[in-house]
Amino acid sequence: MVQFTLPKNSKVRTGKTWPKPEGATRIKEFRIYRFDPETGENPRLDTYFVDLDDCGPMVLHGLLKIKDEVDSTLAFRRSCREGICGSCAMNIAGENALACITAMEDIKGPVTVYPLPHMQVVKDLVPDLTLLYAQHRLIEPWLKTDTPAPDREWRQSKDDRKKLDGLYECILCFCCATSCPSYWWNAERYLGPAVLLQAYRWIADSRDEAVDERLDELEDPFRLYRCHTIMNCVRVCPKGLNPAKAIAAIKEDLALRRF
Amino acid sequence: MSKTFQTPLRRARSRGSAHEGAGHFWAQRLTAVLSIVLTLFLVVLAIALAGRDHAAARALVANPFIATGIAATAVVFVWHMMIGMQVIIEDYVHGPLVKAGLLMANVLFSGLVLFLTLAALGKIAFGA
Amino acid sequence: MAGSSKTIEGAGPVTPFETAGRAYHINEHEYDVVIIGAGGAGLRAVVGCAEAGLKTACLTKVFPTRSHTVAAQGGIAASLGNMGPDHWRWHMYDTVKGSDWLGDQDAIEYLVREAPRAVIELEHWGTPFSRTEEGRIYQRPFGGMTTEFGEGPPAQRTCAAADRTGHAMLHTLYGQALRHGAEFFIEYFALDLIMDDEGACRGVTALCMEDGSIHRFRAHAVILATGGYNRVYFSCTSAHICTGDGNAMVMRAGLPVQDMEFVQFHPTGIYGAGMLITEGVRGEGGYLTNAFGERFMERYAPHAKDLASRDVVSRAMTIEIREGRGVGKNKDHIYLHLDHLGADVIAERLPGIAESAKIFAGVDVTREPIPVLPTAHYNMGGIPTNYHGEVINPKDGDPDAVAPGLFAAGEAACASVHGANRLGSNSLTDIVVFGRAAAQRAAATITPGAAHKPLAKDAGLEGLERLDALRFADGGTPVSQLRLAMQKAMQHYCSVFRTGESLNEGVEKIREVWKGLDDVRINDRSLIWNTDLVEALELSNLLMNAAATIHSAAERTESRGAHAREDYPERDDANWMKHTLAWADFEGRKTRLDYRPVHTFTLTDEAEYIEPKKRVY
Repeated sequence: MVQFTLPKNSKVRTGKTWPKPEGATRIKEFRIYRFDPETGENPRLDTYFVDLDDCGPMVLHGLLKIKDEVDSTLAFRRSCREGICGSCAMNIAGENALACITAMEDIKGPVTVYPLPHMQVVKDLVPDLTLLYAQHRLIEPWLKTDTPAPDREWRQSKDDRKKLDGLYECILCFCCATSCPSYWWNAERYLGPAVLLQAYRWIADSRDEAVDERLDELEDPFRLYRCHTIMNCVRVCPKGLNPAKAIAAIKEDLALRRF
Repeated sequence: MSKTFQTPLRRARSRGSAHEGAGHFWAQRLTAVLSIVLTLFLVVLAIALAGRDHAAARALVANPFIATGIAATAVVFVWHMMIGMQVIIEDYVHGPLVKAGLLMANVLFSGLVLFLTLAALGKIAFGA
Repeated sequence: MAGSSKTIEGAGPVTPFETAGRAYHINEHEYDVVIIGAGGAGLRAVVGCAEAGLKTACLTKVFPTRSHTVAAQGGIAASLGNMGPDHWRWHMYDTVKGSDWLGDQDAIEYLVREAPRAVIELEHWGTPFSRTEEGRIYQRPFGGMTTEFGEGPPAQRTCAAADRTGHAMLHTLYGQALRHGAEFFIEYFALDLIMDDEGACRGVTALCMEDGSIHRFRAHAVILATGGYNRVYFSCTSAHICTGDGNAMVMRAGLPVQDMEFVQFHPTGIYGAGMLITEGVRGEGGYLTNAFGERFMERYAPHAKDLASRDVVSRAMTIEIREGRGVGKNKDHIYLHLDHLGADVIAERLPGIAESAKIFAGVDVTREPIPVLPTAHYNMGGIPTNYHGEVINPKDGDPDAVAPGLFAAGEAACASVHGANRLGSNSLTDIVVFGRAAAQRAAATITPGAAHKPLAKDAGLEGLERLDALRFADGGTPVSQLRLAMQKAMQHYCSVFRTGESLNEGVEKIREVWKGLDDVRINDRSLIWNTDLVEALELSNLLMNAAATIHSAAERTESRGAHAREDYPERDDANWMKHTLAWADFEGRKTRLDYRPVHTFTLTDEAEYIEPKKRVY
């Protein structure tokens, strides 16, 4: 059966409280999930304080401030710091988001930071995303054509190109997949919203000639139909995309080809 | 979790696609829409039955059109319930044996409900 | 398969190694080609090598789609002529002029002639380019891109996928790499090149971040595609990962880097935050204004105006601010207007920057201007290569001698197609053209599966001493403190405008910070995902880049392209029409310079050498 409570070795304990910055008037409290697999200890929640007047506005700024000036052992992924690379996806104040475009001021009370939910944790805020990457590989994210390619570009009308808007912008941060209860329960078999959005990105591409195959591969009670339109994916997507709509479109395509 | 040396792609692909599910999806929608219509029918029937004595009520139910309507309602409701329960079992139950057992039980239970309903209806419609 | 290496641990043989009394186990791997970096150049090289049947591995410190290519916005330049007449010769002229004649014209000819094919290839692989009414790839105007050899109207040459071209390209290239079954080693941090006695590259060592294990990859060729190093600056448009690791690896291997003094400041980084606002905004009709609401670029570049080359615009903005005509409370920035373009055009062609401006500047671009400031953006300099992507290591009087087995492509490389200043949208062209060129050259010179020459048991492992020393570094200075000192020094001494005096001061300052590395402190002693250690390794790389940059800048007594010396305001072709080479002595914490000639010839006789002339826009 699905496990609804944390196993013993995953229970989060109270950790260390680090000193407050001196002379600061506007202080933001951070409670950050820490897990060091090498110690064999349970995860803990460390408390840090950031001087808002001496720090950039985003949660990532706060994390970097902590790492640079308080505790350099804190581990998290980051790269572009402008919401396009998808590295710093984490659970902030209870909701999956990119740390680099989530403002600290928008969070009432302490900023709690956990890794993306329901993933194996490598260390601190670094989850293991290997399975999601493999699932993305599974949908074969490349253009498939059999008609000999023209010397120039494949022609595509503006309207057909427009059908890719809202799909191709996905940054594979997996905020959506890891906020989806259905993905939590059946990660091994359900592809999840991010991957299905990508799958539909190729189905919707007027240049792709393998829509039949793509639909065949997706038609499965688990790969696709575990989506129960819970809509958490839409709620959390930091790029404002709508994976649920893309999934509905795949289901529609699969239904339409029967009639 | 015990260590696995499977590649991630092996895990992701696993047994592959069942190439099935659109039928189930369609059946859910179809039974859902039919259920709306048939629920309206039940409401109307309930109003019609209100105030009748036992014999009059039986007579109404035994009317071939009404009896067919009730039979259709039973089939659609049970069908919708069965495939809905199936999804819930698939979602939450992961042990293959327990899952297979529950899926079978779901069909048996649904079949039983349907059988009893139709038998009762038949008794009224064709009975003495 | 992406990430497959993660679960197949200990698949290969293991070699024990000891340093400072601590035992390491080196995991051995053998490939035909190893590519370091999985941005646009790296992935294009991966695809090329895999297609050619070479056993290919790609090492990358972040998952491929997190590479900095993903942040490129405006587009990729190629003379497709979809929006009006165009010709590769015009593109070549613009690129040479943009480079302020420091670019090698053979490499530039190769770049512009290959560009259309490279873009069509991307399109065939699925890149979602924006479209014209005829269903062809949409092309927009960009700075410095003209027709008729600078005489005609602006060229519409920059192929765009809205303002997310880099993202669209990188995801496409990653898909192609998957399609060809390339093997990725994700979240592996490359440490050092393995060089043999003849100066040939034989492989590379790397740290697996997931478990802290050390790996040695033997290869017939190593292709460095590690990107730029703009994190030497306090304010830059670049990602946190842009730390010049490949450049530093080359310098540690005793090879030079080239033209490091040429750092491009992008005119429109968001004030305060540093994020890029694409030049495509001005390509679509956006313009800059000062405190008086004046479109000041008309004074500095009467012909091209806001679409002048980036170095020209950045200098103009800096002058406006300096002379008291900046906007804002402190009069320290400039406004970029696009509100007149209309919500529809913005939504179709510039949706990403509308979002960024909202998040990072709190500005609704349909109604208000964006506050912007010139911000460190791109490194024209890097690892010197020829147009095949082969790394150049001048030897025995031959300024074009190559280091066998070593390639570089993309921002890490200096081919040199960008010379003293890169034109906007030429970098995305650069990465795919030269990523492919390097792969082709590797395929032409390597037999798949050829046996590896014997390697000394400890070859390439000297670098582990450096790693080990850092891992247990117990000094008094945190990594972040040194990094900040370096960034502040570079920002102060080596910015848009430079003088000999401040540069020389900067050279000393950077050397001091570099020496400070001896007293660095690491707090994380663990093996798994030790970012404290990785940031220290990155800092050590950044410092080599910073030292080479500021030293090269101090010595170049002329103004050319992005290198603007107030004490030497003119270009000096007689003395300085040459590439700077910089070698680093890591132990001695110093750099040494020399020079090599610019290629004053073209690739074929279908293009004529473009003679230097005064550069006005």
